[in-house]
Amino acid sequence: MNEVLVTCAALSKRYGSKPALSGVNLQLGRGRIVGLLGPNGSGKTTLIKILCGLLQPTGGSVAIDGQPICPYTKSIVSYLPDRMYFADWMTAADLFDLFADFYADFDRNKAQAMCVSLGVTPGDRIKTMSKGTKEKVQLVLVMARKAQLYLLDEPIAGVDPAARDFILGTILTNYNENGTVMISTHLISDIEKVLDEAIFLKDGQVVLHDTVDEIREREGKSVDALFREIFRAGNYYDGGVF
Amino acid sequence: MLVRLLKYDFRSMLKQFSMIWLAALALALINSFTVTGLDSTSFRGETVAGISMLVYVGVMIAMFVIAVIFVIQRFYKGLLGGEGYLMHTLPVQSWELIASKLVCAVAVTFVSIIVAIVSILLICRSFIDWDGSFFQFMGWLWKNFDGDMMNAILVLAECLLLLFTGTAKSYLLLYLAMAVGHLAHKNRAGASVAAYIGIQAACNTLIGFAGGFFNNPLFRLIQNFAWESQGWGGLHITLWIFLAYTVVIAAVYFFFTNYILKHKLNLE
Repeated sequence: MNEVLVTCAALSKRYGSKPALSGVNLQLGRGRIVGLLGPNGSGKTTLIKILCGLLQPTGGSVAIDGQPICPYTKSIVSYLPDRMYFADWMTAADLFDLFADFYADFDRNKAQAMCVSLGVTPGDRIKTMSKGTKEKVQLVLVMARKAQLYLLDEPIAGVDPAARDFILGTILTNYNENGTVMISTHLISDIEKVLDEAIFLKDGQVVLHDTVDEIREREGKSVDALFREIFRAGNYYDGGVF
Repeated sequence: MLVRLLKYDFRSMLKQFSMIWLAALALALINSFTVTGLDSTSFRGETVAGISMLVYVGVMIAMFVIAVIFVIQRFYKGLLGGEGYLMHTLPVQSWELIASKLVCAVAVTFVSIIVAIVSILLICRSFIDWDGSFFQFMGWLWKNFDGDMMNAILVLAECLLLLFTGTAKSYLLLYLAMAVGHLAHKNRAGASVAAYIGIQAACNTLIGFAGGFFNNPLFRLIQNFAWESQGWGGLHITLWIFLAYTVVIAAVYFFFTNYILKHKLNLE
């Protein structure tokens, strides 16, 4: 088993002429909770999608558990996208069947138990569910797996603070402790307390990657405060004009 | 993994089509009574029969229109749209995703054709003399094909195979057009339509160039053998040539679609 779980080397991605990632070099170990932090448009979602195989990099390379993106890497990655990916005709129970068929690490009993605690009825059709319930189903599917890498794209965006705590609680009580969790967000104060490492992405480049303890000790401030300093509007947006 | 993918694609197909197929058969059954049972000389009988037939024809047309929409939608939404986030993160090869959609698309077309044939037979059942002329006709057919029945069955199987591969080829062209359209950064639907027209035009041009190939000595030899062979031999050869041509084109479409999904996928 590779000690290094994720490796990105000179990774770049362009959308037409617009760069989204530029020369990203990154290594992530196992058993870590990593915050992928950056403002909107900094390349967080692009990086996660490349790791999932939903986007192809323009340059550089990426490996998970020592292998390029392939069915094997997909079998050990549990991905929570920032959008709904269900077919309307399905029920949550159908999705459990699908995940049980394709992922050896999917725990159906755990999924059902999570549904009970989250107030989701597995027999209901996705079509009839509210947006919040659909998000819960998606979270259940992702966290009921004993994956080696969890890629959670903005799991707490667009929900109220109480719901954020609830979602974070669900993630922390259900993830595989030998796996690594990567959470992308710009709401740092909500997740700082659970992070082991932080990656700051700015204009598609990694400007900081360190342990949270190290950042606090070196900078003498919280990760949230440092984030605000680095990404302050005047610094981040050229000329500070919106 | 392909079998597992097929399980979900077929389940999706059944959810969408079971009601349409049942409705088509039920309406055919109703029509089988209204076309003969009602007094066609009365205005009411004629109206009921007319409306019933109109609804049946409507459902038949809808069935095939929905089938085509289904084929396009299952690929576009399922692999290049929102559902693609789920399908492309499953631990499967991209060719398996395409193959699963294709098998399901061909199946939905053929079941719809079978439903249409059965429904027509249901409507016509009262006009067929099952005890007399029908079996006389079948007997006549058997007698006239006597000795060549094996060949007749073989030609039928070859035609069916050609129909299957031809349908698959048409759908693979749609898939390739959508995959090419997906490479565009804006207006992907429009780009897919343009790609469909472009690929068709390119194929026609290539076939035009291939005219040179068809004039080559080897092809002329096969052609002469096909046309000059006595009886069934020529027909078999002709059908197999068409079949080989269809399979090769379908394989080319499949290869390029798979290449795009494997190496150029961009679910932005």
